Formats: sequence, C-alpha cells, structure tokens
Amino acid sequence: MTKKCLPLYAFIFFSLAGISLLAGCRATTRDISPDETIHYDEDYDFSDKRAIVNDLVESLTTRPPLGANDRRPILIDYGIANRTTEHIGTDGIMDDIRTAVIHSGRARFVNKQQRDSIQQETQYQYGGSVSPQTRITMARQVGAEYMITGTLRSIEKKQPDQVRLKKRTLKYYSLTLELTSIESGLIEWTDNVEIVREASKPIIGW
Amino acid sequence: MRNLRLSSESGRIIIWLLVSACFGILVTGCTSAKLTRARDQFYAGKPAEAAGTLGAPEDYARRDRLLYFMEKGVILHEAGAYAESVQALLDAAEFIVQEEILSVSREGTSLVTSERITVYRGEYAERLFIHSYLMMNYLLLDQPDDAYVEARRALQVLAEYPDACSGDYFTRGLIAHCFEAVGEINGAYIEYRKLAGDMPDPAPVLPKVYQLARQLGFDDDAARYADMLPEAERQVLSSPAEAVMFISQGKGPVKEPRNIVLPPSIRFSFVQYRERGSRYFPPGVESTRGRLRASGVTTDVAAVLKTSLNVRAARIMVKETSRATAKEVISNQFEDPMAEALVRIAFFLMEEPDTRGWETLPGYLTLTRVPLDRGVHALTVTDAYGTAISLSPVGVSHKRKYFYFSVRLGDR
Repeated sequence: MTKKCLPLYAFIFFSLAGISLLAGCRATTRDISPDETIHYDEDYDFSDKRAIVNDLVESLTTRPPLGANDRRPILIDYGIANRTTEHIGTDGIMDDIRTAVIHSGRARFVNKQQRDSIQQETQYQYGGSVSPQTRITMARQVGAEYMITGTLRSIEKKQPDQVRLKKRTLKYYSLTLELTSIESGLIEWTDNVEIVREASKPIIGW
Repeated sequence: MRNLRLSSESGRIIIWLLVSACFGILVTGCTSAKLTRARDQFYAGKPAEAAGTLGAPEDYARRDRLLYFMEKGVILHEAGAYAESVQALLDAAEFIVQEEILSVSREGTSLVTSERITVYRGEYAERLFIHSYLMMNYLLLDQPDDAYVEARRALQVLAEYPDACSGDYFTRGLIAHCFEAVGEINGAYIEYRKLAGDMPDPAPVLPKVYQLARQLGFDDDAARYADMLPEAERQVLSSPAEAVMFISQGKGPVKEPRNIVLPPSIRFSFVQYRERGSRYFPPGVESTRGRLRASGVTTDVAAVLKTSLNVRAARIMVKETSRATAKEVISNQFEDPMAEALVRIAFFLMEEPDTRGWETLPGYLTLTRVPLDRGVHALTVTDAYGTAISLSPVGVSHKRKYFYFSVRLGDR
C-alpha cells in the first residue's frame, strides 16, 4: 500500500516545490531612494560614491582655503585618476563634487570640458552672423586659482585556497582629493575617505 | 545459456544513456561548427566575416560561451575594432567570475558522461590572455587608466596561478608598461625588475629597469643595472617618445584528443596541446631613417598554454579516474549481459575528451619598444618572409610619449 502511494507523494512534493520555485522567479521592480545604502557585493557602487562625495565636500568647503573666505575662488578640475581594479567612471565622482561645491557657494569652476565649444561659439559670434550689440566680449575669461585633483585606489585581499564552502574577499577603497594653488604650486588642502568592506561568495552552487 | 533479454528498467536506463550520448555529440557539434568556421575565416584573413559568423552569445550554450567571447575578442582586435573587442573580453572576464561557483549538478553529471558538458572556464593562462588583450585594446584606444585597471587584474591572475602564467613575459612586460603609462613608476619598476629576474635573457627589459631606477633615485640598483647595459643602450634612454608595438606571429596551439583504452571498456580520455608549426622570427622595425633599435619581450604562447595545462594535470587525472570508476561501477550493476554491453558502449561513446580552447591566439606575442626622436617617422615592421608592413606615420612632439600599434605577422 505504502509502496503504491510513494509515486503519488513524490509527484505532489515535486509539483509543490516547482510551483514555489516558479513563484520566486517572478520579475519585480521597485524604486530605491538614492540615499539608501545598498551593496550587492564588495565592489564599488553608487552608495560608496555618495558617501565619498559627502565626506570630502564637507571637508573641502569648511576648511581653509575655501572655508576661510567668502570671495568664492575659481577652481578647475583635472579629474580623478582611477588606480583600482575596476573600470570606475571617476568623471561621475568629480561631477558630483563640483555640483556640491557650487551649491555650497564656496567656490566657482572654470568649465574645462567645454573649452573647445566655448572657442567654437566665440568664433561663430565673431563670424559675422551675430549682431555686435549681443555678442560676448573677447578675452574676459577667468583664470583658475586652484586645481582640484584626486586619486581613487583599491586594495583587494582574497581568502587563500582551503577546504570551505564560502570564499571571503576584503576590499579597501581610498579616495584622496587635493586642492593645489596654481600660482604657488602648494597643496592648500587635502583629505581622503576610506571604505573597507568584506563580502563572501559561495563556492558551490546547484 | 545467458539470458539476453532486457528488463524494462534496464532498457529505460540504456535508452536514456544512448540518447544522452547522441544528444551530447550532436549539440557539441552544432556549437563547434560555428566556432570552427569563424576560426577558418579568421585565419583566411577575413576577421570581419569571422566576427559575423560567430553571431550572438545567445547562439551558444553556456558551457561554450566563454569560447565565443574569447574568440570574438581576438577576431575583433585583429579587425581593428578595439572598442568592440573590449566589450567581448570584458564579458569573458565577467563570465569567469560568475562561473567561480562550482555547479554540483553539472559536475555530478559530468562524472558519468563527459567533461564537455561542464562550463568551459578557460585554462589559467587563457584567463591571463584575456587581460593581455584588454590592456592592448585600451592602450590602442588611448585609455591608459583603463589599461592600468586591466594590468592590476592581470596581476591578480598571476598571483593566483603563478606556476601556470609566469612564463608569459609579454603580458608581464605589458603590465609594467601600463603602470608606466599612467605615471605609477614605482609599480612599473617593481614589475620590470621581477620580469628581468625571471627571464632567461633579461636584456630587453634592462634599459627600462635602469631608467626607472634612476628616476626613482635608487642609485645602488641603477649602478648595478648600468654595469649590465652596453653604453649605447644607456644613451638611447633619453628619447622623447616610444613606439610600442604588439606583434603577433603564427597560430597558437590546439588541443588534441588522446585516449587510453583498458579492457573491458574503460576509456581514459585527455587532451594535449599540439603546436601548429609556427616558428618565431624576431620582427625587424625600420623607419625612413633606417633600421631602428628595437627591444622585444616575447611570449611563446604554446609553451605557456602547455605549462598551464600541466599545472591542472593532477586535477584532470583525479576526475578522469573518478569518472572511469563511476562508469565501471554502474556497468557492473547490470546482471543482464546484453544490458551491460550496451551500457558500456554508451559510456565509451560519451567519454569525449574536452578539446575546447582559445584557438585564435597567435603562436608568439612580442612587445616591441622603439625609441623615437622628434619629428615624423614612417615605421615598417618586417616579417619572416621579408614582407614590410607599413604603419601609420608618427609625429613626435612634446604632447605624447607613447604611440601604440598592433601588428599580426604571417601564418594567417
């Protein structure tokens, strides 16, 4: 009797397991606040970018030279060098820093990225199509006083090979930002932010 | 007299095994047909056609997808589509990371079938070559920061599989160059120095080690390396620019099946690399001003891949023995001699050696550096048959230090 019922029980069990698995595989979407901290793995992500930018901009705008005077010095950014093991778009970090500094009202930026476009537009305005009353005055661009640069570094350490079910990875990120006086060549301000994270991954799966 | 009739349970198992064997052989054939055609087109000098033949990643079962990414990476690189090649090779690197998790179901099934049903994860040296091509592509695209990222990733592979990969001098020289290209000269010095220590003849990297030791103020080291350098080499170090060439020659090796058959029906299958008759010829570099002093670091791709396979040999043997034992145990379970014979035939047919590998790799990779003076240079690279390949002219000014070229010579 029991032997006869066994295939039926097995059928019911596997059917239920299959249904519950399929239900779990449903596609879902949800909105996430940019302020929410989410990490899927040990790698650099948008939560790190926000944390790094907030900390460094706070230090940059409250300490000398930017924090010490109200005349809004002119800055130029020369980008953040990526010295990590990931292809990280460091332009995005600098964009966020620039936005936050401008919003703080402590400094202004020369638009280095648009220099060629500015040149092109100036030439156009002086090319004969634009009325002299409305075209801009030449040679009135502002020279930068400070150069802002940075370096993003990472160190990764993997757990050595041994008998286990999970592999752990330790990752360290550091972003150092510098403000250099173009006139004197002195580093007038510098600070860095560090992130250390551990993640573990299973070695065996189904 | 022995009973030759099969029980219904035995019959089901045998049919399943025979169908699995036929299906496995058929599926493997379908995938490899596309890859084979693309490889043939590539070696016939039609890389663009070969890239088209490869199709999309979805056309390949997951077990062969890495091959698709790797072959596509090299084919697009040779076609001059460096950005597209980057994408294919980044996909390859990502795929390997995803496949770090060992699948119990696939590995278990492979124990009674064949290694070919497992996901191909690449030989250790092939994993390093993925980063080599990424470094080359990024440098050719004038993205030294991204090339540096790949150099760091390549170092991780080297650290993980030192025995399998340390003979890849080309990649190690390229790593050092990527450090140098972004101004990380301390890192570059360390890598060049390690390379000089490991190469049988360190002459091609000595000028760099000497130059960087001087730049870093390591006077003792600089003096030591100066003694090893001819006077003429020391003077060349002050050149304002360099042409950096990635020169590929010949065809890389292919995996060939080998079988050992023991009675009654035990078949051990394994693979060995077979070279495709490529011979190394030191490439000559000339300009309109005459023959140039070029230093080159070369990797014998076949030698590196053979070493890499040998490093894995113990693991392969253990698995092969386990598979043979498992098959023997299952075969012996059948009391019916006809059933046993059929099961043995099925197992014998299923035991297919895993000959999958990256076949568009060249036989030799050489990193050649040529110091350049100010002015315009029209450079040519000469191959083994004296054929000169002209490169686009280079105008050396204060703006740019390195000019990159990728050249494939002979044996297409």
